[in-house]
Amino acid sequence: MIWTSIILCGIITFLIRFIPLSGVVSAEPSPFIKNSFKYIPMAVLTPIIVNDLSIIQNNSFFFIDNYKLYAGVIAIIVAVISKNILATITLGMGSFLIMSNFINI
Amino acid sequence: MTKWKFFKQGVFEELPLQVGVFPFGVIYGIMAIETGLTPLQAFLMSSIIFGGASQIVFLQLFSSASSIGTIVASIGAVNSRHFLYSASMIEFLGNLSLKWRIILGYLLTDEAYAVSIRKFMNEPPNRFLHFHLLGTGITLFLSWQISTLTGVLLGGGLPQFLNLQFIIPLTFIAIIIPMVKSFSTLLVVLGSGISALIFKNLQMDFWIILSACVGIMLGIVTSKFDIKS
Repeated sequence: MIWTSIILCGIITFLIRFIPLSGVVSAEPSPFIKNSFKYIPMAVLTPIIVNDLSIIQNNSFFFIDNYKLYAGVIAIIVAVISKNILATITLGMGSFLIMSNFINI
Repeated sequence: MTKWKFFKQGVFEELPLQVGVFPFGVIYGIMAIETGLTPLQAFLMSSIIFGGASQIVFLQLFSSASSIGTIVASIGAVNSRHFLYSASMIEFLGNLSLKWRIILGYLLTDEAYAVSIRKFMNEPPNRFLHFHLLGTGITLFLSWQISTLTGVLLGGGLPQFLNLQFIIPLTFIAIIIPMVKSFSTLLVVLGSGISALIFKNLQMDFWIILSACVGIMLGIVTSKFDIKS
């Protein structure tokens, strides 16, 4: 299953990059299509972030003692200020490790 | 300018971007092993898919036992922006042979595109211009493979308490926050995020795709309120 998934994802990624260059699609995308495409990455990645911050566990919302959520908020603040991938990951991960390993609220 | 000069220029202009790309590749390699991929799967994914954020999305969806359909659709959605990159390159690469267009299509990633399109737009027409994209693309490809391999080799040896899975949402936060530059993009993030909470709570299949659709619709509807720069 995993090899099939990897290969199918590889094919779809290559086709996305190659089809316009192939000449099969001759026209320049319309402004509407261009405008819609720019929203897709953030619209797909945000649900994954929300899921990984473990806000929902066992069909109920989980805010108190949710170190992932707190660390995620810290990472968002760092990302807004620094716009730097490494700084965001380092400070977000650092705050999560401190909270989850050394703090007992 | 000769083809070799264009190629070399592409390589040297791409190199500074590797400061950001290399650690990202190492993180991907570590994560892939942590998620349960074999070293071979982790390493080859970097050449089969060859797309940073999409490979991390793959790991996240794989670890949450998503279906192949969800994984492929999500990877396609994340990489859909490359369609626009490719379309904007057609005026510079459209006359090349099929072999060249296949190679350059494969190498057309964010960082290679960003560097080469600037060159293409500022350079007078030249039949060897595509060697610049070959240079940027190959530099990024090699950097991504080496950094992945480094991460794969490090991956198994790291202690459990580090909870490295958490790097995935942090990476995505680092990627999308700089994209939020307008009212409509803010609504896309808020709309898809809140929808995800609702759809996930309702245990709906394809909740990622459904949430993304809500976010995109909100973005399209509200884009007319954005302040034009």
